[in-house]
Amino acid sequence: MRVACLRVPDLPLVARLRAEPELVGAALAVTDGAGPRAEIVSVSAAAAREGIRAGQSVAQARSLCAGLALRACSPALERTAREALRDAALSFSPRSEAAPPGTGIHAAEAACFLDASGMGSLFRSEAGFATALAARAAALGLPAFVAVASSRAVALLAARVPGEPGEVRVLAPGREAAWLAPLAVDLAAPPDALAEALTRFGIHRLGELARLPAKALATRLGPEALQLAKLARGESDPIPIEKTAETSLEEALELEAPLEQLEPLAFALRGLLGRLASRLEMRGLAILELELGLDLEDGGQEAIHVGLAAPTLDPKTLLRLACLALEAHPPRAAVEGIRVTASGAVVRADQLDLFRPAGPAPALLGRTLAELEALCGVGRVGSPVLPNGHRADVFALEPFTLNCAPVLASETAPAGPIQALRALRPPVTAQVRVECGIPQWLHSAVANGSILGCAGPWRTTGSWWSSERFAHDHFDVRTSDGTVSRLRHDRIRHTWHIDGVYD
Amino acid sequence: MSLPRPALAEVLARLGPQVRRGGLLPEPPARLPSGIPGLDRLLEGGFPCGRLSEIAGPLSSGRTSLALALLAASMRTGDLVAWVDAADAFDPASAVAAGLSLSRLLWVRAPDVPAALRCTERLLETRGLALVLLDLALPGPPPHVAPAVWPRLLRAAQAGATTLVVLAAGRLTGTSAALALALEPAQAHFSGTPCLFEGLEVRGGLVRGHETPAGGAACVRLHALREAG
Repeated sequence: MRVACLRVPDLPLVARLRAEPELVGAALAVTDGAGPRAEIVSVSAAAAREGIRAGQSVAQARSLCAGLALRACSPALERTAREALRDAALSFSPRSEAAPPGTGIHAAEAACFLDASGMGSLFRSEAGFATALAARAAALGLPAFVAVASSRAVALLAARVPGEPGEVRVLAPGREAAWLAPLAVDLAAPPDALAEALTRFGIHRLGELARLPAKALATRLGPEALQLAKLARGESDPIPIEKTAETSLEEALELEAPLEQLEPLAFALRGLLGRLASRLEMRGLAILELELGLDLEDGGQEAIHVGLAAPTLDPKTLLRLACLALEAHPPRAAVEGIRVTASGAVVRADQLDLFRPAGPAPALLGRTLAELEALCGVGRVGSPVLPNGHRADVFALEPFTLNCAPVLASETAPAGPIQALRALRPPVTAQVRVECGIPQWLHSAVANGSILGCAGPWRTTGSWWSSERFAHDHFDVRTSDGTVSRLRHDRIRHTWHIDGVYD
Repeated sequence: MSLPRPALAEVLARLGPQVRRGGLLPEPPARLPSGIPGLDRLLEGGFPCGRLSEIAGPLSSGRTSLALALLAASMRTGDLVAWVDAADAFDPASAVAAGLSLSRLLWVRAPDVPAALRCTERLLETRGLALVLLDLALPGPPPHVAPAVWPRLLRAAQAGATTLVVLAAGRLTGTSAALALALEPAQAHFSGTPCLFEGLEVRGGLVRGHETPAGGAACVRLHALREAG
């Protein structure tokens, strides 16, 4: 088995730069809190050149660099950056898992493993595969180190070797020990007690540790030293990596200040949706559903669900849908944090029938449907469906697809042109004068005057076992103003409405 | 007998700008029949494909029935169609009775006229739909549509070879429409025991046509759902 490790050494800094790419190249420091006494956790290369180091206070750092940009650590950003790292891995192999959190000097790292067996044949060499993996992570805003070895622990160790982001290390099978030999023992992050003991014995390199006899090592320094020596020899157990199946991703952002207006919220959403779309695109998926989670200033939370008519990755359409949803359901308080969860769906290529007229291109149709829904609202675009039932004007909308049943002309062509009804939604209230159960005079916003022709009543009733029971009498009436309409009397509520006009 | 070449050149030079090189006449567009014989005769085959047409008339003038008949006729060749509904007046039951296959119809329930126009433009730009029907027959005063909208929709329809038909209470599209049909109610038929509504009789007049002379009229008898079933 071959395992690749994708590692980002300084997650707080990388996560912040991923969310605010305009800060790339600037002197930036990430702190563990707010205020002048907060401690610097991570610094950019430009800040390091100004003499700023981790562990300094904000006040000290400002004294060294007046133009230093300061940002607080964001657990939400770091979590989504870890997930994005995993997405980069998943775009190459479904067998991927996150590495355990680093400790000691590697506490700020984020890493994930993926099964790299056979990748060398897909990319001409394992080095080519590792380079492509690093480039994929960089495209998501995550400059990473990549190492390929025969086990997780060895790959992680190789990925920890200092160097330039984007560097790849490939440890050929059987040659791990020689590759690891010159590396410092500290790279393996041994426990403090063990590290101190090894230093006392003059063991500084992994090669030196690998040459020690196992029995004596275990007796003097314990099982942890034995494990470390096994790692130094490149002998770590190759445990298979399981296949992942989740298709739901999340991006989150904690706002610098609470926001009430839609426009700045839309600006924050644009970045979140763009990053989500990139991650799903890497998995070969498009966004089918969105869930907007809002953390409010009053401590509460709100969730808004946004469904799409068709999967799409178009950022403009997604933003428009999200803004429409926020306009329809404005949050009750200012927003302090936003989480966007997206469910992915495979965009299937539809094979068009050679013997049917060509329709719209499937991918273009999907995008158009999503835009139409953004313009009209959720649930207002699709193919109508008549459900079973006796109630008039009940319908549903199904997603419009190109996979529709062919039309058989002999079954659908009526004998002549059909008199159609033009529905009124909502039905228009009417005042009706009735004699002997037959309407004689009508007044409404649609039809007025004495009734010159009347057919009915046609009685419909149903759902008597539930709260939605109905009992209607329908009439087709022609009023003196020339309008022919369908009149309905609700026998339960004793009201009159016009359901539609014959047109 | 033809003139010798030098003499021909001298004649052309003398005539000067009065003579221009001509070209082939553009072919008339194909027609989309409505399936109503009298109306198709009036329209010389039907509605022009890839063009903008208009059906205008008051309530109970048969506009919606004609629109459904047109959609059904288009669907019988296997085409996909769309109904952009600014009035939210589309009745699925009437559509099924008229012979439409609902799975091949895209119903866009636009919240207002600007959204409906934008949706129509997007559908025309997507291409692949044979017919897009834009229902602007809202109750009340006629909707305000900027004059520049119709030429833009016409260009989009021509580029995608999609037939665009606008349904309205009164004329809206102006000179952009290749064909404008005005409908008016003629008679409502109630008869039988018990009394049944048998359908409307409407009169259609051609008020504008690029290739068809305006001024013609036709009567159309519509049949109520119960009678046809």
